[in-house]
Amino acid sequence: MKFLSAERIADFFAALATSFELRLPVMLPDGTRSIGTLEDGPIALQGGALDSKPTAVFFPQQEVVFTARDGEVPDTPLPARPLLVVGLTRCDLDCLRFIDRFFAGGWRDDLYFRQRENAVIVAVSGYCGAGGSLLPLAAGNCDLELVWDGSCWLVVPYSESGGSIADSIADSTGSGALQRIRTESLFHIDEGDAIIRRASELLRANRVPDSFWEEIGDRCIACTGCNLVCPTCTCFGVQDWRYRNVVERSRMWDSCQLAGFMREASGHNPMGSEALRSRRRIHHKLAADPERWGEISCYLCGRCDAVCPTGIGIVAVSQELVARFE
Amino acid sequence: MHDVLNSAAMGKLSAGRPLYVPFECIIVSVSDLTPNEKLFRLQVPEGKALGHLPGQFVQVSLLGWGEAPISIASSPTRSDYFELGVRRAGSLTGALHQRVAGDTIGIRGPYGRSFELDRLRGRDLLLISGGCGLAPMRSLIQYCEDRRAEFGRVTILYGAKSIEDTLFKQDLNAWETSAHFACSRTVDRAQAGGCYGGNVGQITSLIPPLTIDCAQTVAVIVGPPVMYRFVIAELKKKGLTSVQIVVSLERQMRCGVGKCGHCSIEHLSCCQDGPVFWLHEIEHLRGAL
Amino acid sequence: MKKTLTVCPYCGTGCALYLVSDGGRLIGVEPSVTHPVSRGGLCVKGWNAFAFVQHPDRLTTPLIRRNGELMPASWNEALGLVVERLQSIQQRYGHDSVMFCSSAKATNEENYLLMKLARGVFFTNNIDHCARLCHSSTVFGLAETLGSGAMTNSIACFDQADLIFVIGSNTTEQHPLIGTRILNAVRSGTKLIVADNRRIRLARHADLHLRHKNGSDVALLNAMMHVIITEGRMNRPFIENRTENYAAFAENLREWTPERAAAITGLEAGEIVVAARLFAEAKNAMIVFSMGITQHSHGVDNVRCCAALALLTGNLGRPGAGVNPLRGQNNVQGGCDMGALPDVFSCYQPVADPGMRQKFARAWGVADLPGSPGLALTHAMDAAAAGELQGMFIMGENPLLSDPDQAHARQALQNLELLVVQDIFLTETAVLADVVLPAACYAEKEGTFTNTERRVQRLRKALEPPGEALADWEIICALAERAGYGGMRYSGPAQVMEEIAALTSSYGGISFERLDQHGLQWPCPDAKHPGTPVLHVDHCTRGPGRFSPADYRPPHETADDDYPFVLTTGRTYFHWHTGTMTRRSHLLDREERSAFIEINPEDAGRLGVRENDIVLVASRRGEIRVAVRVTGMVIPGVVFIPFHFAEGAANALTNNVLDPESSIPEFKVCAVRIRRIV
Repeated sequence: MKFLSAERIADFFAALATSFELRLPVMLPDGTRSIGTLEDGPIALQGGALDSKPTAVFFPQQEVVFTARDGEVPDTPLPARPLLVVGLTRCDLDCLRFIDRFFAGGWRDDLYFRQRENAVIVAVSGYCGAGGSLLPLAAGNCDLELVWDGSCWLVVPYSESGGSIADSIADSTGSGALQRIRTESLFHIDEGDAIIRRASELLRANRVPDSFWEEIGDRCIACTGCNLVCPTCTCFGVQDWRYRNVVERSRMWDSCQLAGFMREASGHNPMGSEALRSRRRIHHKLAADPERWGEISCYLCGRCDAVCPTGIGIVAVSQELVARFE
Repeated sequence: MHDVLNSAAMGKLSAGRPLYVPFECIIVSVSDLTPNEKLFRLQVPEGKALGHLPGQFVQVSLLGWGEAPISIASSPTRSDYFELGVRRAGSLTGALHQRVAGDTIGIRGPYGRSFELDRLRGRDLLLISGGCGLAPMRSLIQYCEDRRAEFGRVTILYGAKSIEDTLFKQDLNAWETSAHFACSRTVDRAQAGGCYGGNVGQITSLIPPLTIDCAQTVAVIVGPPVMYRFVIAELKKKGLTSVQIVVSLERQMRCGVGKCGHCSIEHLSCCQDGPVFWLHEIEHLRGAL
Repeated sequence: MKKTLTVCPYCGTGCALYLVSDGGRLIGVEPSVTHPVSRGGLCVKGWNAFAFVQHPDRLTTPLIRRNGELMPASWNEALGLVVERLQSIQQRYGHDSVMFCSSAKATNEENYLLMKLARGVFFTNNIDHCARLCHSSTVFGLAETLGSGAMTNSIACFDQADLIFVIGSNTTEQHPLIGTRILNAVRSGTKLIVADNRRIRLARHADLHLRHKNGSDVALLNAMMHVIITEGRMNRPFIENRTENYAAFAENLREWTPERAAAITGLEAGEIVVAARLFAEAKNAMIVFSMGITQHSHGVDNVRCCAALALLTGNLGRPGAGVNPLRGQNNVQGGCDMGALPDVFSCYQPVADPGMRQKFARAWGVADLPGSPGLALTHAMDAAAAGELQGMFIMGENPLLSDPDQAHARQALQNLELLVVQDIFLTETAVLADVVLPAACYAEKEGTFTNTERRVQRLRKALEPPGEALADWEIICALAERAGYGGMRYSGPAQVMEEIAALTSSYGGISFERLDQHGLQWPCPDAKHPGTPVLHVDHCTRGPGRFSPADYRPPHETADDDYPFVLTTGRTYFHWHTGTMTRRSHLLDREERSAFIEINPEDAGRLGVRENDIVLVASRRGEIRVAVRVTGMVIPGVVFIPFHFAEGAANALTNNVLDPESSIPEFKVCAVRIRRIV
């Protein structure tokens, strides 16, 4: 099996950067780890899931839908080089798989697939979580996986494109370490998993009263951070900007936590209370999506719990909900 | 759940076209429906048909102003044009109201689930609309008119706030005198001393006097949000059940294709799974009605 | 793709964020995970801070009024015209015939430079900025009692308070990330008293919510202190060791029984007693206030009472205890620190002091500097309206919407011989200008902002300004050059900061390199100093803390038969001041599209108005049309209108009556009547 020593990583990515548009975990100036380019800061594969939304690579906070000149919409050229996205964890990959399904289902969202179509996804796992903890093996859902065994990155390909990248690496090693990590990953249990499943049951059984959501609503300042960091949140708004001969239509991440999200021109608002909006945020992931897509659309990436300034991310709310209504 | 024809329509005008880029349609004529509502008759270029079914909508797109979902107010049986009834409510519809015959506007669609004609055929239809809800309903009424033999008794009930706010007055007059339909209408309030001699009162007041063959009837409701609960209650009193009632819901849609999330009702997406629903599909869902 | 670490341009909390750009286009923001204030979070405005930057309405070229219309012009022509006409006015009417309005949205360096331009180049102390309208009473009141007109604590200190007393601050909406600290503290057991008659979010979590009448704060606070003294709950050692003038102060409180205050405040006497006991019993109590305290014709008295309450109970100089005015604008603290004020140089060094004048004159290479304090912003408007001021240079402010009594402000601005506006959008004020200079916004330049906890932080350039727009500092320097002054040639804002540090003791140790990560809190007197999270630890900045007695004066206008409602004004969560940025941010604009008035259901019933009805609201100064929101947020007899909306401008109604000491207008109270239109 191929491997990369920590020292070889920089060269490895520098080489890939000649044929791909690279997006990988970097350390930004103040210590924030984020997905960026080699120019944005030193490569920072270690440290666990990134704080920002990894699916933003394909579905950025704001993007141009089209630019019309003198009323005509010219064809947008396809990206010159495919993206190579590094640093997704196992749950990030689940999220990506979920929104791939979402954007492909029914009407296919060609805007999303412009970048997504030919992108190469490189996962990270192994003992490279926060403080050297185990990030469970993804074992699929990606093209290539970099597995930190404590001393080097084991390179595990899953697709043709992943395979040819692995082939370009010279160094080989045995697969014992990978086997150990694979086994450990099987026993890796996220405590949040049981919590959100139980919360999901309660919600689907309609056992959570509105008064609970009123309490949660009281604690929500509508910062919208939970939605904006959630890798499976896909809601967007649309704006037109008018320049002299040019109109630029773009879409931007929207949030169901805002009162205006569903408010109609008449003033009628089907989600017109804080309680209804707080319910929607959790209910959508734990009850509505299972109904529509057959699975809970929270994969416990932890981002909303981390970003919420008042501690009402999905796991925290699920915990309260289970404690009170189960 | 989706109408087969609906999926076929998915392919037609939109095939190979970027999902979010509108195509241009020409305004053939514009007429005033009320002081606040206009009817736009539009043509797809090169004489193509829009390929819609009653109950569907299009995303109207004005460059620089954005998009809004607008129900199609004409029947596909009259296929050399399509019509949109537009209320002036915001900046986009305000700009649209400035457009005149000969101008072009952007269209995406048709989108959404239509009235399920296969399940309406052979039935008595009770078509109840309020306010702007007459626009999508008109598409179905015209369809019934043009394929009259396919349906049983067709009863049209319509309510508006006032005489001034009444949409499609000429159509209503024609339907009232037509042998094809039974048609009653009402206004919430009439000016004292005015020349209006018709019903005054809520739309619900038109339901109790009706004689309905329960086993045969399907009721269709399209109207403002406040209307549904009350009309449904009246219909249930008449013996209709949730599998015999169809509703078309209005939501704030941004994309029209099930992506933007603004129109979701629990697990359903109003623009994709609706806007037309059988009542039993949504009555238990929070925030649906 | 590029990620640029910078500071949010909205409120004084000073959250750090990364601007994400791709090919010269902003595509989003990411919070800074390590920032001590925002800790990886942002509020809705922060998450949308990128949205207005590349809006098509941005100003891209200088504009000059020709035949009544603003027409594009070259920089050369515009700068020449501005200098020439300012000089011509000064030649005819004297140096003090022109006014410079600086900006709490601009950087420290830019505020410093405009101050230098006014004083050093145009020889006038007529410089001020919108701090006059928000916290001038704080600066005055806290300087007098404690010696520093700033937050005594750090934002992180909120976690350590046993009790937080929020008076006149809608913290979760106006300083959202500070508000969340309070919410979190309450969940961990901190007691919360909210004194504000609007039922703000914090009130839902409060142990005690005092809905006292607008403008009755002095009565409430005096009575609380009366209770504390009569029940012997004051901190005697602290009073003895750390304060002065206690005896006279206590004497003044003798008559302030809770019953007397109850009659004025509309509260139950018992509520006041409970508040006093709760406050006095807390081991570490923190007072948080904002515009509900400051924007009154007795704003300084309000601040004196807040300071006295802390002194009386010894709640000062510890992490969980202190007096914390939350500064509104992202850099209003810095604007004041930099001396964009009519009476002081940077760091509050008085212009009246010949020694100070000499120090600055020497550093700037000028022969002399003006010694008599200049006009406050509010007085300058009055002077312009009266024809006593001929020229005004406004950088990044929109007084036509933000100043009280819009008709008066309009008349003042129209009366000017020359109005120059330097801004990022063509604001309502800029529309009236003779010359408009296009400026870079926060995302397009370097510099520093000082947040409400005195943290000096760097903003960084993420992209180029649009068209020919230039950073404010570049424009100011170019104007100086045009005026024949050679002392404003800088390689960049870092070099300006070196000059500031050399002349300003509390910024003495501050340099761009040292600010690289998350800034430094002043006072930071030398290059080794780590900055100061908590002020007044061993002694107050001024020495002993001073008890300043204050007597209750009612608001200038109260409800009467002709104008039966009290109007209070403020902001909403989604918009910023005059809306130039937030109303051009799609989501923020969508949330609050137009002007509204909050009316209590009882009053709505009496007036026969319903939700979304349009009403005419009139005061003695003007009238506006706004939509009705029927809500228990306000108490009967009181209505609230936000001042963001040009088409329903709350400041068409407000009263331009000023606090005699700080010259802050009484934005928070005036009398109005309401009539239904549709």
